[in-house]
This record gives sequence, structure tokens and C-alpha cells, in this order.
Amino acid sequence: MPVAASRAGAALALLVVVGCLPWLARRDPAYTVLRSRYAEREATPEALAAVRAELGLDDGPLGALRTWLGELAHGDLGTSWVSGAAVGPSVWSATLTSLSLMGFALVVAAVVALALALPALRGAVAGRGRRGGGAAAAALTAVPEFVAGLVLLLLGAVWLRWLPPYGWEGPSSAVLPALALGLPAGGLLGGLVASAIVDAAAEPWATTWRLAGARRRTLAVALLRRSAPALVGQVALVVVGLTGGAVAVEQIFAVPGLGRLMLGAAAAQDLPTLRSSMLVLLVVAGAIGLLAQLLRRGLLAGATRGAALSAAPPEASRGRAPAARAALVLGLLALAAVIVGGLGRDPYAAVHGRLAPPSGALPFGADASGRDLLARVAHGALSTVGTGLAVTALALVVGVAAGCLPRAVVGPVEAANAAPPVLVGLVAVGLAGPSTSTAAMAVLLVAWAPLAAHAAALVEELRAQPHVAMLPALGVGRGGALVRHVLPAVVPAVGRHAALRLPGVVLALAALGFLGVGSPPPSPEWGRVLAEGAPYLERAPWAVLAPAGALMLLAVLATAAAALAPGPWTTKARPLLRPGLRGRGQVRA
Amino acid sequence: MKPPTEPRRPDPRRPLPRSARVATAGVAAALGCSLLAGCFAGSDEPTARSDGRISVAMLLPPRSGLSPLSDDAFKLSRWSTAETLVRLDAEGTPGPFLATSWERTAPTAWRFEIRPGVTFHDGSELDATAVVGALTEAAGASPLPRVLDGVELSARAVDDDTVEVATATPDPLLPQRLSSPQLAVLAPGAYDGEAVDPVGTGTGPFELTSVDGTSGATLDRYADYWGTPAKASGIDVSFVPDGTARAAALRTGRADVVEAVPVGQAATLDDDLVVEVPMPRTNTLYLNNAKGPFRDPAVRAAARAAIDRARLVDQVYEGRADEAAGLLGPALPWAAALREDDAYTAALAQRSRPARVDGVRITLATFTDRSELPEVAVQLQQQLEAAGFVVEQDVREYQFIESDALAGAFDAFILSRATVLDSGDPVAYLQSDFGCEGSFNIAQVCRPAIDRAITAAAAAEAGPERQRLVMAAEAAVLAGDTVVPLLHERVLQGEGTGVEGALRDPRERELIDADTVAR
Repeated sequence: MPVAASRAGAALALLVVVGCLPWLARRDPAYTVLRSRYAEREATPEALAAVRAELGLDDGPLGALRTWLGELAHGDLGTSWVSGAAVGPSVWSATLTSLSLMGFALVVAAVVALALALPALRGAVAGRGRRGGGAAAAALTAVPEFVAGLVLLLLGAVWLRWLPPYGWEGPSSAVLPALALGLPAGGLLGGLVASAIVDAAAEPWATTWRLAGARRRTLAVALLRRSAPALVGQVALVVVGLTGGAVAVEQIFAVPGLGRLMLGAAAAQDLPTLRSSMLVLLVVAGAIGLLAQLLRRGLLAGATRGAALSAAPPEASRGRAPAARAALVLGLLALAAVIVGGLGRDPYAAVHGRLAPPSGALPFGADASGRDLLARVAHGALSTVGTGLAVTALALVVGVAAGCLPRAVVGPVEAANAAPPVLVGLVAVGLAGPSTSTAAMAVLLVAWAPLAAHAAALVEELRAQPHVAMLPALGVGRGGALVRHVLPAVVPAVGRHAALRLPGVVLALAALGFLGVGSPPPSPEWGRVLAEGAPYLERAPWAVLAPAGALMLLAVLATAAAALAPGPWTTKARPLLRPGLRGRGQVRA
Repeated sequence: MKPPTEPRRPDPRRPLPRSARVATAGVAAALGCSLLAGCFAGSDEPTARSDGRISVAMLLPPRSGLSPLSDDAFKLSRWSTAETLVRLDAEGTPGPFLATSWERTAPTAWRFEIRPGVTFHDGSELDATAVVGALTEAAGASPLPRVLDGVELSARAVDDDTVEVATATPDPLLPQRLSSPQLAVLAPGAYDGEAVDPVGTGTGPFELTSVDGTSGATLDRYADYWGTPAKASGIDVSFVPDGTARAAALRTGRADVVEAVPVGQAATLDDDLVVEVPMPRTNTLYLNNAKGPFRDPAVRAAARAAIDRARLVDQVYEGRADEAAGLLGPALPWAAALREDDAYTAALAQRSRPARVDGVRITLATFTDRSELPEVAVQLQQQLEAAGFVVEQDVREYQFIESDALAGAFDAFILSRATVLDSGDPVAYLQSDFGCEGSFNIAQVCRPAIDRAITAAAAAEAGPERQRLVMAAEAAVLAGDTVVPLLHERVLQGEGTGVEGALRDPRERELIDADTVAR
């Protein structure tokens, strides 16, 4: 029941925010609606007054909300402020399109994730439960969807001529967008699955099974099933993200989906369209979240009933992870080389040839304005990595803190995950003004959600375990149990997850630049350098390769560092158990 | 590691509990449904080009359900489905279209003879009542269509095929105004609902048969067209916002005609696939004449002197633009010759001498909607800093920066401005951008000399005299270095190898007509 209340509350809060958007974002909807009808019509006071009267904007936010709820009760979604057409049909067809695109993308993501997790599973079954660098998964998550989309467009439609370059006219037109969406999503999920399998394999029961000669297949299935409870929630979030947040891919392949519809509606402040799309997406998010919850409860129940999960974090130190160490050292060396090589050069001087190819004098080539890309990547490193790390760290703190209330946080997580970034950006700009830190705030408002979901799943799981469940009986208060027994096991896993999300944060920070937030051009943030280079992908691949390579390097570094970070802290926390219990080490087993 | 005394573990052989099975089934069902092809927009796979239809990839999806009382009007005219009373020729001179002739019966009144034998696509006949209905609808629309800004227009039927159009004040440009696609005449049935519906209600050689939201539209040849019937059997339109995808459509033959190929993509295309059309659009550096360093005309002159137009055209536009000699570009063919005029050169000779600037801080703003503009800003920053300015950029999407620009928040603003939007005449642009009362006065300029020159041009009849006065107004604007015109854009239109007769219209009103074919 608290979960349902949390869902309803968060959904209502989000819909109220949407309904108050013009007032929160401090932009006159009469202006934005006029602009979307006539791009170059002067916004004279008469024209604005005409629009205002037509839309009934004089009622204020509460009046508008009341009208909408009244109409909604009659099953009427209203008419669009921009087109004057009924909202229902356009939202419905966009939702169907987005759901089918999501379905295709999910298939791709599942295949990619399994392929990425296979080595970890193999190793775990064979008893080599070492955490690799996860370099492949990390690199995939660092590929922005707009770059993946453009590469696939060129490859599949122009060079191979196998598939149509755009449109939404049959399964063949879904292949390229599904790949563009599914590859990064698969990378993310694959990284999470691999990490969870390694954790599971380090648990005592896995060793016992292996020593007892359990069949490899049996052990593999058991490991997957053991990892699943913490992951289904993440899959659910990804599914919703693919449904409502595929803006870049929908734009490239001209897919008439929900992401584009909501982007346009948010920018034009077409409240009826925005509210209805948001409502639909929240319903989808709620339904998928509910499915995930049932699935997870089932999986957990299977483990907790009769035979509790034996997830007490292992005593044995983690495998030494030579791969991660190598990745870290090599990555640091490469990054240092780029920075040392580029810091002495001028990142702003547009003095080289337009899109000059790499050469001895210009190792990374030049961008479309004739600027030295090596210099730009090097000079952008500090601010890009710094801001990205700060936002990710804050998201981690907020996420873990929120995850300690696993039931109450369900609704806010789903709402934050479903809310379109442009909406969050608009509200942030309205509240904080267009400053450098506004972009960070807007990204933080969204980035904490998946981490909180992960933390919540782990917290719930840990609380179900005997060694935690019995703590109250031993006189350990809730707070003590949380600090000494739950958090030490949660933070490292969620931390590794956060590292996997770092490139996404960097890209999101740059993507909000169109609102005039974040560091202004021509400063060489990697996200901006990448976006500037993307249109020239075919003519000058180096304009994309330099920043994308840097971003991948950052992703690999971050995941490798997270893999090498101290393992579960329970080994240190254990002596805090009451002495009388120490002889009975079984409490943790 | 000590083996656990009591092995506690998940049992993989135990079937999943019921709730988990239900959930799994739910996921599977959702996935299965989503994979059904029924979720796709059109059921037709793209067809081969042997059917005589023309496939068009357009830049912007319709925003207002293709209502002519919005920017979508230009789409209707580009597809030759909606028609107007008057049509402009290449020179901008009005000629007959749905009206066969017209005369000015009073300073504020004009009479138009309606073309006989014209039927709408829904079968009804074009008569004076239908024309009056359409014009009255536009004149009463909220907000008013752009072309009618400041014009109080009314229409009445004199007889079955004569319409009298009146304006509150004398309007020498009324016929030009009536050529705007926003004043297209649709069948009376189009205006019945809440939104104007152009499906099956036009008069052109192609009938709009279906609109698929923001993804596409279908048009078929209209057999009863009043002129020569269309050679092509229909038009299939897709709206493709991404430039790389539009270029790819041209290369793969997916589309026959492609709107607005980005400059950066043109180099990847065969030269014979791309046609350059000069646009009545000027990239101009608007300087803030009211506050900040650019209050001083000598500092404005310094900015003017700092700019290297050739490098802009070469570096950003790859040579596919024209250096600006003034506000009005080659799309208005008469403008260049009038700059040789003695009065014009004399006016420009009075310009201030550039001041020496050293460390003068300015903000330079522009927007991202036209992808070349941020690159122009990079080049301008470089050029201005070389001259001694210290530049700080502010770049956002247009709708997030327009109000700040109009309020004078920036010292300099790079704007790509259409100079003859609706009537083919530049006076409205001069008024709104450089008049004291101008509604688009980003330069924050108010000089009596400019106002006088514009007022004189606005009152003149269309023709050489009006053109001379327009150029005198341009000279008045440039004499004070109010703004710095940078370059005139060209639009790159993509045409597949089998395409013949696609129209290359600088005003972006025409694209496909009855004579266009694609093989």
C-alpha cells in the first residue's frame, strides 16, 4: 500500500508541475504557442493577447489544472494549444509507436547485455569470480544515442543500402533506431548484470555448490536468478526511458514517437499535449514498475521463504581484478598523455583549415571552425570530468539516501525517470535562472533516480536476510543496522553503477546547452565538442572520434576505478557485532 | 572460508512463484504486442519509383495540423494543393491565379475577378462567396496571420464572380499580400471545424488525401484541375528533421526532392544532386545602439571594419552563400544596381571612422536553430577579438533567446532574417527591424532619418520608385552602422537524377507543381 501511495503521490506531483510549467518556467505560453505557429511572426502585444484569450490562460495554474481534471474525468484529453486538434489521437499513436520501438530496442539490449555478461558468468561458474574492467560495457554506455544513430544511418542505409534511412513504415524501418537505442542500453544493463553476478558468485553458497560439484548449468541459472532481484527494477527504468526518452533517435530516423511529441510540447508549452503524454507515460511507468515489483517479489520470496538469501557479503577479498587494474593504468596514462599534449595548445583559435584531417601538427585534426581538437579535448577535460564527477557523486549520495526508504521512493523514482529532461531543464531554469550550475541541478534531478532504485532493491533484499532481520532481536536499532550492516553492502554496488552512468551525466549536461545553461560556448566541454562534430561524422570522422574517444576513456576509467574500490565494507564492520555472536559466524551465512 | 553449517540458497529447480510467473507473462505479452507490425504508421513499404509519384523529404513537420493560418501554409503551397488569388513571378510582380484580373477602384478598395470553372477537391465550386468566406476567416483569425499584421482587411462579394477587398488605410501592396499562402482559398467546408482542414478542400493540381500526424502526408493528382492536369500521379511527403537523414534519402533514392540540405552535408553529395537557390535572407550582426559600447557610432564602425565576410562565406558556408553588400541580397535582383546610385554612396560616405578599441567587452549572442549560426559566432568572435574586442558568447535555441534579444540584453546578436517574408516586399522588414516603433527592433535603434526614409518607401506604389525609396532607407540604416550585414544565405535543394521541373523558389512557396516529374 505505501508503494501505491508513493506512486500516486509522485505522479500527481509531476502532473501538477507540468500544469504549472508556464508559471514555474516563467515563460509566457502565449509567446511560445505563437512562436510554434508562426516562426517569424513578430510577437506583438495584440497577437499575444489574442493567443492568451484563445487558450484561457487567465485562470492561473490552479484553474487550468481544475479544468483539465474535469475534462479528464469525462475521458476528454482536450485539444492541443498549438494545432487546435484533439490531443487523444496524436498521443495514442505516438505511444503505440514508442512502445513498439521500445520492444525492438529491448530485444537488442537484451542480446547485448547477455553477450557482455557472459564472460562474467563463465568466470563465476568456474570459480574465478573476479571483477573485470567491464571495459566493453563501459565503452558502449559512453556512445551517445545521436552518434550511434548517425553511424547506423550511414552504415545501414547509405553504404549497405539494406534499410530505409528514415520513416516508420514497417519492421525494416525499426531496425536502425532499435539498434541505436539498444546498444547503449544493452551496455548499461550488461555492466550491471556482470557486476551483480560477480557479487553473487562471491557469496558462500556459490562456493559450497561448486565444491559440492553442482552442474555448471545449474550453478549458472542459480547465479542469474540470485542477481535478478536487484536488476529487474533497473530493466523497468530502462524500458520506460526507451519509451519516452528516445528523442535523439526519433529525431534522426523521423520516428513519430512520444519523445519527440513531448519535447515539442514542452518547448512550446502546449500543456494539453504535454499533460496527456506525461499521464500516458506515467501509466506505462507504473504498469512496468508494478510488473517488475511482482517479478522481484516472486524472486525474493522464492529465496526468502524457507531458505533465506545468503547474501551476506563475502569475507574473502575480491579477486585482484588484474584487468581492471590494467585498464585503470592504461586509461590514466592515455588521458594524461592527451592532457599533457594538449594543454599547451590553443583550444579557441579558429586558424586551421575547416575539418582539417589529423596530421603531425594536428594529431586529432581540426573541427568545423578550424580549431585544434587535441587542444579542445585536453582543455575540456578538467571541467567535463570535474562537473560530471561532482554531479554523479551527488546523485550517488542522494540515491543511496533515498534508497533507504525502499517503498516510499518508488513513486518519485518512476516520476523522475519518466519526466522528459527538457521539462526538468525548463523548470530548473525557471527556478534558478540560466546559470552554470543550473544544468548540473537539472541533471541531478534526474540522475539520482536509477541509483535510488538500485539502492532500494538492495536494501530491501538485505533486510530480508536473517543476519539483518535478526538484528532487532539482538538489540541493534534500525539506524545501527542500516549504518553497520546494510549501507556497507549497498554503497559499493551502487557506486559501481554510478560509475557506469558517468558518461550519461556528461552528455546530459551538454545536451541542456540549448536552454543557455551550463558553461557557454565556445568552452570545450566534451559533450559540446561531440555535438559540434556529429553533423560531420562522414566527412570528418575525427571530429567525432576525438571527443567520443575521450568520453569512452572516461567511462572505462570510472568503471575500472569503481571495480578496484574497496569491496563491501562488511568485513570491517563485522567485529562490531556483539562479541557473543562472533563465535557463531553462521549469522551471516 | 568456512562452509556454512546450514546451506541456505535459492533452489533453481523450484518453479517461480505465481506472482513472478504472472509478471513474466505480462512482460512477454507487452513485448509481443509491441512487435506487431500493426503499430506502424503507414502500412505501405516505400514503393519503387515506377508509379509516377514524387517522393519529397521536408524539413519541418507540420505544427498546426496543416492549417493555412500558420507557417504550415507554405507546405500547402509547396505541394500545389492550396492556391491563392494572386501569384508572384520571379521578379515579385503579381500575376493572375485564382483571380483572372483586378483593378483598384478606390484608394482602399480593389476588385478581383474570380476565375470561372474552378472546383475544389471536394467537388464544390469556386465562387465569390467562397473567396469572401476564406478571406474573412483569415482576417478574423486569432492571432492574425503574419501577412495581415497592421492591415484591416475586409471582403465582400459584388456578384457571383467579383470580390471587393477593402483595407482600412490605402495599401499599395494588396495584390502582393493576397499571394501569401496564408491567404489561400479553401472550400467552405474546410472552415467548419475548430481548426481549418486542408484535406480535400484545395483547388490545386494535387489533392491532399491524408495527413499522418508529424510523419508524412499523401497527395494524389486532381483530375478536374482547372489548368493542365499534373504530370505526376501524386506526392508522398515525409517530414525528416535530421539533415544527415535527408541527405541520405537523396543518396539512396528514398526521396526525389529534398528540402534544405545542410551545408555540411552537401560535400558528401554529387554536385548534380544539389541546387543552390539564393534566399531573401540576410545574416546580419545586430548591434545594440541604445546601451553598452555600441552606443558609440565609432565603436560600431570598428565592428564593421573588423569583419571579414569572405572568410565567413568560405569557412562556414563552404562558398555556398553570398557576401552581403547591404541588407537586401541577390534574391531581390533590382537591389544591387541601385547601390550605385549617387545618393546611396553619399549616404554611406558619412559613416563614422572606426574607433581604436582595446579590451572593449561585448556579449555576442545567437541561436542554434540554424546550424551554421553557432559556427558564424565562433568566426566572428575570432575576428572581433583580433580587432581588440573581448567577446563573451551566449548561444541558445531561438525561442529561449528571442525575448532577451528583443529586450536589448546583448551587445551584438547574429540573426538570420527573412527580408521579404509574405508580400515579396521588404518594407515590412525595414519597419519592424529599424523603425522606432518596430516590433523586432533588436538593434534598439530610433533615428528620425531612418523613420522618414521607411515611411516614404511604405507610401510609394509598387515599381521602380518604391525600389529606389527602399534602397534609400537601406542607406539610412547603414549610414549609422546600425547593423552589419554579413552574408546572404542560399538554400540547398536536393533533386534526384530523374527529377524534372521541380521549382526553385527563393520565397519557399513553391516546390512541386503540375509540370514536375520524377522518373
